[in-house]
Amino acid sequence: MDQTGFSSAHLLRLYDRFECLDRDNRGYLSPNDFEAVGGLAMNPIGGRIIDAFFSSGQDTVDFSSFVRILAHFRPTDRNRNKEGTQQELPNSRTRKLKFAFQLYDLDRDGKISREELLQVLRAMLGLQVTKEQLQSIAERAIQEADLDKDDAISFDEFKKVLGFFLLQSQSLVPDRMKRIPPLRMILALTCSGVLPSLVHLSPSTETMMEVRPKSRDRIIRALQVCRT
Amino acid sequence: MAPLRRSSTLRLTGLLCLLFLVFFSRGFASHDVVSEKSSGTIQEDSHSQANSTAHEKTFPVLSFNYEHVRTPFEISLWILLALFMKLGFHIIPTVSHIVPESCLLIFVGLLVGGIIKATGEQPPVLDSSLFFLYLLPPIILDAGYFLPMRSFTENIGTILMFAVVGTLWNVFFIGGMMYAVCQIDAAELAHVDLLSCLLFGSIISAVDPVSVLAVFEEIHINELLHILVFGESLLNDAVTVVLYHLFKEFAHEQTITVTGAILGVISFFVVSLGGVMVGVIYGIVGAFTSRFTSYSRVIEPLFVFLYSYMAYLSAEIFHLSGIMSLIACGVIMRPYVEANISHKSYTTVKYFLKMWSSVSDTLIFIFLGVSTVAGPHTWNWTFVIFTVIFCLVSRVLGVIGLTAFINKFRIVKLTKKDQFIIAYGGLRGAIAFSLGFLLDNGEIKNLFLTAIITVIFFTVFVQGMTIRPLVELLAVKKKKESKESINEEIHTQFLDHLLTGIEDICGHYGHHHWKDKLNRFNKTYVKRWLIAGERSTEPQLISFYNKMELKQAMMMVESGSAAKLPTIVSTVSIRNVQTKGAPKPSRAISKSREEEIRRLLRANLQKTRQRLRSYSRYELLNDALEDNISEARFRKQREMERRMSHYLTVPANRQETPPVRKVFFQPEHKVYTYDDSESPRGWASPSCADDVSELKETPEKPDQSSTPRANRDAELKPKEQDDQGDQLKVSRCLSDPGPNPEDDEDSTFLP
Repeated sequence: MDQTGFSSAHLLRLYDRFECLDRDNRGYLSPNDFEAVGGLAMNPIGGRIIDAFFSSGQDTVDFSSFVRILAHFRPTDRNRNKEGTQQELPNSRTRKLKFAFQLYDLDRDGKISREELLQVLRAMLGLQVTKEQLQSIAERAIQEADLDKDDAISFDEFKKVLGFFLLQSQSLVPDRMKRIPPLRMILALTCSGVLPSLVHLSPSTETMMEVRPKSRDRIIRALQVCRT
Repeated sequence: MAPLRRSSTLRLTGLLCLLFLVFFSRGFASHDVVSEKSSGTIQEDSHSQANSTAHEKTFPVLSFNYEHVRTPFEISLWILLALFMKLGFHIIPTVSHIVPESCLLIFVGLLVGGIIKATGEQPPVLDSSLFFLYLLPPIILDAGYFLPMRSFTENIGTILMFAVVGTLWNVFFIGGMMYAVCQIDAAELAHVDLLSCLLFGSIISAVDPVSVLAVFEEIHINELLHILVFGESLLNDAVTVVLYHLFKEFAHEQTITVTGAILGVISFFVVSLGGVMVGVIYGIVGAFTSRFTSYSRVIEPLFVFLYSYMAYLSAEIFHLSGIMSLIACGVIMRPYVEANISHKSYTTVKYFLKMWSSVSDTLIFIFLGVSTVAGPHTWNWTFVIFTVIFCLVSRVLGVIGLTAFINKFRIVKLTKKDQFIIAYGGLRGAIAFSLGFLLDNGEIKNLFLTAIITVIFFTVFVQGMTIRPLVELLAVKKKKESKESINEEIHTQFLDHLLTGIEDICGHYGHHHWKDKLNRFNKTYVKRWLIAGERSTEPQLISFYNKMELKQAMMMVESGSAAKLPTIVSTVSIRNVQTKGAPKPSRAISKSREEEIRRLLRANLQKTRQRLRSYSRYELLNDALEDNISEARFRKQREMERRMSHYLTVPANRQETPPVRKVFFQPEHKVYTYDDSESPRGWASPSCADDVSELKETPEKPDQSSTPRANRDAELKPKEQDDQGDQLKVSRCLSDPGPNPEDDEDSTFLP
């Protein structure tokens, strides 16, 4: 929990969602489970997002890795003092940008080359545009961002290009991570087969004990998994 | 020498300004005198005619008839005054640094009003119907049409909170406190009852978009704060309208019943949502109309203006919120209309809106000054002073309280500095004055008007003047000059997709989810109906890219086309030097083909000039060369032509063929099925890139064997291509043919 920075209420919700996705109740998620999520099929970069959850080589995602990846999307704690540990927090700006960068950079060589950019553009723009248009766009994008003229965008250049943009907008943090208890009900309703509605969602540990015993065990298991 | 000249110009300008002021005010004031005179002469004429039918009337060589043109003449004089004032403030730079323009304009209005009054005439008052029907809509349309949608929708919750809850708080606080003040015997205000106080509160508590725009525009504050205050000033119109009418109705009956209150709440929803609906309907109709305007491009901008204005008027018919209707219309119409209309129409729309809103807001402030001098005033120290104090207090309390609540839901929280600026930026303006003017005549009305004017003056002068140094002092983040970059656009879209995906995984229907759904709906259904031709399937990224390329091409021409030529020639010569050594299998273009290319290029460049000969009043002139480019540039263009023909006649023993650009397209390589009569947007890079890559492909293949040189070549080439391409793109763009298709140039000449 210290690693990810999530509160126990959050973890609870995430665990429920994890269970919801894990239809065969195996305790881990495979790519098929992700693909069953409706929106991802239509998302141009859906495949990449799914791949991001599975660290190299592995076929399954357990709850702790699931949570760790989602921890990237927590709001940045702005009023933290500037300790050295700021960089290691999963939700710091750099980590967020790194995550996004890795979605571009599929071969993990630390740079977004022209081909990778072209692939992303092709995915986003579909079949409506010609190859030449894509090339000119990619060309221009690299020209704008590439400061050391190596014909690829490194992570620092990426940060610089997006730096201004991210300061202003609230992107990179989906509303999901805001603590709004009433949304619990929506989540409960959308997740078939899970009936956690009796769980009382306040961060304090005392109220956690009001939970039904069966759910409580699950939750404790989940928290233990997370702590490791 | 220079400072001497500066001071003499300053003095001259000041003298001129003064002269103009006197002249204009005499013009306004003397119309009554003149009308008497002219009516006198008419009577005399009829007398003399009756008496002396036998006499010959001498034919009047020169006669004076001012009545005939009086109204338009006076209106034009007022507008001219406004424009001269605007010019004057920029010529005298020292003053405009300290004092915002709105203050100076009010001051000028005071002067003019004073001069008119001194001559014994009654200065004109800011008539409410004039204000609401003619002066306010251009400003709101300009603001709404160019509203930054992204930041607006991201902060919509905060904006609505401030607009609705904040204004309600202000109304009841001010109304209640003023009633309490009126109860004090010493103030002699016992005749002002609770409902009147609440009515007064509802008039005075709304933040005014005109003043906010005028002041915030000059301080260049960061976009978040700007959109928060400005959005609030736009959206609180609904609350103001409802409360104003509610209290005005009940002021007659002296009591408020519970049903009245409930009806008020319902009325609020009807007014705001109804206004938005009206705007949306007009917006969709306008977008649909613009789909067919390719037949007459000249009238396109008028559609935009008229539909928006009709939306405003229609909403006003039903007492719905006209401002919200206008904003909704502009916002809905904009993406579709921009895809449909030609580039020139787009520029026209943009500049006309800016022009009208600029004139409007100048006029409003001048009239405010004049009306101050004109109106009957009832000055009551207690009332006025307490009004000012309570306005400030309620604004500060409201902002602090609401921010504490809102920050729980925001990710980028509002700091104390932000809160201070939001509170301080709550300026009142002409809307409050006009609403007050609409009250029934009576002593209370004068009392209220005086207080309203005092508050307006206080906010505009004191707060307007001090906000700039305060912004500097508090080191509030200023607006960053961000260049539009294709990277930002790509990555923004990428991040949107990413976040939508994550939201889907989490199973949460959040902001991104709905935005994505809306975009998908837009793409599949709406765009097909509202956008003409092939543009309907064009992804947003492509249109953005094309717009950027076009802008860059225009910028290059503006900076001087002749300057670019040497670089083209020099890059080629550099390449010649570099590539001479390496033995590369060359693919020489056949002589006949090269001849053809040269001939056609030259012919086309000449043709763009010859097309100016035909003239038709209802069509845009095809000759940007006459309109836009001055003689000097014309000469440059000819020189460019000459150089290009020289360049092309240099013997072709080079390794690669120069990337020759076809000036017109092969239809089968086009992405969009434009006919050439369409606007030049959109054909810019893709087709040209098409053709060049097609030509480039064959010579390029052998080049790719050698790596470092190829890289450098590849780098030089795109730049050179871009330059050349942009040259021709621009010449094409500037010679926008309008609706006439060019038949003879469509022939494909390369197999």
